[in-house]
Amino acid sequence: MNTESKKMATSIYGRVNAPVERCRVNFCTDMEKSVLMSNFERRGWHQVGPDDEWNFYWASTQTCRNLFSVESGYRMNDNQIINHFPNHYELSRKDLLVKNIKRYRKELERDGSPLAEKAEVVLHGGQVVTRYVHLDFIPVTFVLPADYNMFVEEYRKSPQSTWIMKPCGKSQGTGIFLINKLSKLKKWSREAKAPFHPQLSKESYVISRYIDNPLLIGGKKFDLRLYVLVTSFRPLKAYLFQLGFCRFCTVKYDTSVTELDNMYVHLTNVSVQKHGGDYNNIHGGKMSVQNLRLFLEGTRGRAVTEKLFASIQWLIVHSLKAVSSVMANDRHCFECYGYDIIIDNQLKPWLVEVNASPSLTSTTVNDRIMKYKLIDNILTAVLPPDGIPDVRWNKVPNSEALGNFDLLIDEDLMEKEESANATGKGSKNKK
Amino acid sequence: MEDIKDDAIHHTAMKLAEEIKNLSIYKSFYSDVQKLVSSPNVKKEDFKQTLQQAMKEKGLDTKLRNTVFHWVRTQNKNKLDPLTSLSKASAQWEKRIHKSLNSMCSDLETSLAKIRPQTEHEELAEKWNELSTYSLDLSKYRPVYAPKDFLDVLLTLSGYVPFTREDEPKWEFAHLPLQVKNLDQLRKTYVEWANGEPLLGVNPNMPSIVQGFATLEAERIALGERVAALGYAPVIQEYLKKGSPQCLRARLWSQVLGAEVKQQQTNYFNQLKKSVLEVDLMIDKLIFKDVQLTASNDDQYFVFEDLLYQVMLCFSRDSEVLSAVRSLAGAALTVAVKGRHGPDCLTAFPPSGVIPFHGFTMYATPFCYLYDEPVQLYYIFRAFYMRYWHRLHYISTHPQGIVSLCLLYERLLEANEPLLWIHFRNINVNPIRVVFKWLMRAFSGHLPPDQLLLLWDAILGYDCLEILPLLAISILSFRKENIFQVNTLQNVDAVLADLSTISVIPLLQLALMKP
Ligand SMILES: Nc1ncnc2c1ncn2[C@@H]1O[C@H](COP(=O)(O)OP(=O)(O)O)[C@@H](O)[C@H]1O
Ligand SMILES: [Mg+2]
Repeated sequence: MNTESKKMATSIYGRVNAPVERCRVNFCTDMEKSVLMSNFERRGWHQVGPDDEWNFYWASTQTCRNLFSVESGYRMNDNQIINHFPNHYELSRKDLLVKNIKRYRKELERDGSPLAEKAEVVLHGGQVVTRYVHLDFIPVTFVLPADYNMFVEEYRKSPQSTWIMKPCGKSQGTGIFLINKLSKLKKWSREAKAPFHPQLSKESYVISRYIDNPLLIGGKKFDLRLYVLVTSFRPLKAYLFQLGFCRFCTVKYDTSVTELDNMYVHLTNVSVQKHGGDYNNIHGGKMSVQNLRLFLEGTRGRAVTEKLFASIQWLIVHSLKAVSSVMANDRHCFECYGYDIIIDNQLKPWLVEVNASPSLTSTTVNDRIMKYKLIDNILTAVLPPDGIPDVRWNKVPNSEALGNFDLLIDEDLMEKEESANATGKGSKNKK
Repeated sequence: MEDIKDDAIHHTAMKLAEEIKNLSIYKSFYSDVQKLVSSPNVKKEDFKQTLQQAMKEKGLDTKLRNTVFHWVRTQNKNKLDPLTSLSKASAQWEKRIHKSLNSMCSDLETSLAKIRPQTEHEELAEKWNELSTYSLDLSKYRPVYAPKDFLDVLLTLSGYVPFTREDEPKWEFAHLPLQVKNLDQLRKTYVEWANGEPLLGVNPNMPSIVQGFATLEAERIALGERVAALGYAPVIQEYLKKGSPQCLRARLWSQVLGAEVKQQQTNYFNQLKKSVLEVDLMIDKLIFKDVQLTASNDDQYFVFEDLLYQVMLCFSRDSEVLSAVRSLAGAALTVAVKGRHGPDCLTAFPPSGVIPFHGFTMYATPFCYLYDEPVQLYYIFRAFYMRYWHRLHYISTHPQGIVSLCLLYERLLEANEPLLWIHFRNINVNPIRVVFKWLMRAFSGHLPPDQLLLLWDAILGYDCLEILPLLAISILSFRKENIFQVNTLQNVDAVLADLSTISVIPLLQLALMKP
């Protein structure tokens, strides 16, 4: 008899939400997004101001930084948690992310780690370059103006390739443009440094190799927005939300030079696409990652699809490891990152950037349902079983509390398993 | 005795051989066999034996068997409808559709068919791969009919036959003198499911009972790969009963329906495309409109919009569809193509005979998760349509037709969910109303694609559509507590609107397993 199907049909797929146990938690927030507020409300939490006795703070990155600054002198007690790490920018600023990853690879290389293995690869252009075999997951990137000379050197190696310029401190696609000639960059830098724009000259940029062979579906470019919850950096504890989505461009992909400035072709940000004439606000250009997987498995096969999703997990874990040593690992903090990832037409994923406050605005009905679940799952995962914030808790949620989160890595658990295995083996050997 | 049997077999074989000569694959098959005969593998002394062996090695043996399989499957359905009263109803409905097409045409001051002007022809050809950017003013076009309109027609059918039980409300399909199965008979059809055999789609981590495989899925993949390599359609059909892994589905579905794409199919498809480019049928606008109303606004399918325009437009030009379903469809309209002269100025309208209703595109959308080439997508959709989907929007007494499926639904509900049945009575809601669109669209657009594909595996595996009403019942029964709470059609619809959390296979298996 097949009891499995009975169990499935009755438990997991029940429609009625189990009532959440209500307990007295005082929350504070400076962003009254409806997916946040409705979650707090459903839990029966009580809203208080920043100067009151809060247990749970959902703050903007700015508010959080102020709170942690030396001047504020705020000290948190054991029953207070907050949704950012004080120096999240090590991961979320475009220049620092690259810097940290480069350093991480160098350190591994110096230690002779097999992870830092290098090999020669042939690019589309035919030129041969040396790349990390396992850690080549960000496009070649330089910080401007600081690394200008290094960039020019790299540029000369393949002058036909396209580059993308992004201001380090901005988001939502603002200030981004594509470059296919050095002269264009020179012109830009002359203008930026012009005496009339002194403020522009201070701004630093990253320039990255443009991934010009993205995987297209229906002829359109897309990227992935995945949510990653980190509850600790040392030991690293991270979880991947299953319900990520693909963000599609509204205009067919086209690499011709005339379309180089058409952001509807090249940038997948919803904040960019929604201004386009072809934007559809019923689906918002969003397709679920689960459907992407279904499509790839159906049309490309299982092995390559599994490999892609495994590489995505790999990439996330190593981007986190790259910053774990520099992060201020405050016990009061957790953070949900929005990962932007592009898949190329060889089904290789590339990390584009990491956002510390991914948008919680809902563009469509399904978007709202998904983000509501995201917040719900985050809350359940960062709270101990009794639902009261407590930094003394070991931060090991049971599998039910994880909801739609999959465990990416828990170094704590890994260590325990290892030592258990070691002693297990030891006793066997004795026999 | 033996002799008579031999004779009969001989006779059937002769008949088959004659039939095969008329099939499109015959020419290439014959030349393949000729090539084999002249190869050193085939010996003159032992001709029969060596030829058979060589055919086996070359896969021609499987090809021949599959051809016979597919041929046999197309044979038993072209019988005329026994209930003439229903064919009358059907003919009247067809007439109504044609009339409304004509009046739409005159309202919009356009013609049903006309030669496409050169500029338009060129623009269409140029934008063929991104028809979403082909600008058309469709604001005045409306779908000719929606599932609801079709249901209203079906609900009048009992008026066509004399009915006896005065005490029953008129809306019951029960008045129709048709035979449908009861749950026990369904259990005999879906015997593997009823026996509680492990199925794909219950739990991705379900362990395998076969040694050497960690999960059921791994076991099914290994077996499925062998089945696909063998390529023998009846075996594939058997395999599909317990569900296909997504990675093998595209291949297995094409094989079981004989919808593989070769050069010949590609040429034919291009021919259809050419006729779309040449002749402007009023129905093209309806097709554009339907893709826009359905796929373009759906977060599961919007990315496939451009593929769907191509497929649906070509489908409308495919006269092979018309000949395959003619017995049901009645006579198609014949219209003159404005601007064309000579003998071929008349065309069936549309050449496929199929007038799309609101949501027709949904019959094709799920295949986008299996095929990204328009030609492949086209042939699988067409094969599904000719074998199954046409039954869902034509009136007939066929046991797999929509009328029988509605009746089956009613009977199952009354017999197995009597409290629900009474509740519907009490609130005066016809229970077929809340599920009809599911049945008519085979749940496409209602279930998420992964669940839908599992459901359609079962349609192919058991080669029947009875799973649709059964699933409808299972969903109602799963949500019955919520249905008992409400008392209007609108609110029942609301309870049933979101099927995104439904897990199809466990629910169906639960319904089929003996309590
Ligand atoms: N190296 C790249 N290659 C191709 N596309 C890119 C690259 N970098 C960014 N993009 C596109 O530009 C968008 C915005 O870039 P991102 O780094 O995420 O900046 P922002 O903070 O403005 O969102 C991305 O979502 C992606 O679509
Ligand atoms: Mg971004």
